[in-house]
Amino acid sequence: MLQDELADHNFTVIAVAIDEDVDKIREFMDGITYPVLVDADHVLTELYAISNVPSVLLIDEDDRIVQPNWNAYATNTFKEYTGIESEDQLAIIRRWVLEDTPMMSADDAKVAVGDLSSEEEQARLRFRIATHLRNSGDEAGATRNFDLAGELAPHDWTIRRAMMPLRGEDPFGDKFFELAAEFNAAGRPFHGVAAERPQN
Amino acid sequence: MLLTDGPMIDAIDLERTIGWTLKPEGLCRDDACVIVRDRSAIEVDGKIDMVEVAGLLDRPVAVDAGSNTVAIGSPRDKRRGALNDLQAPDFRLPDLDGTYHALSDHRSKKRLLVAFSSW
Repeated sequence: MLQDELADHNFTVIAVAIDEDVDKIREFMDGITYPVLVDADHVLTELYAISNVPSVLLIDEDDRIVQPNWNAYATNTFKEYTGIESEDQLAIIRRWVLEDTPMMSADDAKVAVGDLSSEEEQARLRFRIATHLRNSGDEAGATRNFDLAGELAPHDWTIRRAMMPLRGEDPFGDKFFELAAEFNAAGRPFHGVAAERPQN
Repeated sequence: MLLTDGPMIDAIDLERTIGWTLKPEGLCRDDACVIVRDRSAIEVDGKIDMVEVAGLLDRPVAVDAGSNTVAIGSPRDKRRGALNDLQAPDFRLPDLDGTYHALSDHRSKKRLLVAFSSW
């Protein structure tokens, strides 16, 4: 595992769950030694213009982002679906930690992530209001704001997919497949650097 | 930031709520002040309109009239600093046991920040 392998090289992983289900997150985290943080209000997706998970950033000792939002995977768990080989991505991370070689130039990094539109900003605020109302028992209010959030950012997984368990929807039911189809039809929009997918 | 009782707050609560105060020279925090062109739009009968304040501070705001809930987002320049200047904005979040950690707690290390989820 990357953390154990590189811990002696002035390196740490910081994982942030864009999620509020602490028990579910705990299931993923058995034996993990790095900080695992819980971002139920989606603060990070607003601050860093994150629209899907996993999004990985590499940040140096001086708080400089050397690799912005990157769709990278630590394992091949989702390879069948994504076609992405995690070992190639891990090699890039290792090279940066050990040899200080970034994956892309600063000029490229500066234009790699599109800013959030005002609709995407509003969707994040509506999502925050909806989870608050849900947690205080105002189901109609939660529904109203979740619906608005989804309309404002229809291709944003941190909005559309993240709300599904909060609304009691089957995460692999019809709604999920509708979302995936809409997302594919829209050209798989992603705020950041999409991983290279094999051409076939 | 969430306000659960509508956008109007008592003037006395402004600093506690958002860290800025209304002074003769404008909306101020530490040495920084934002000019307030129309004071009557922001301050009405000893109440402060947080929708106006958010606008002055370049923070997005949404109001759910049905529940009187107001959400105020982060200043946009923090995100633009990340995107355009590659300067990582700091944040503070709780871990699984409720202990808060900041990105800056690990300054002087190379960090791999990963946003993930269970959904």
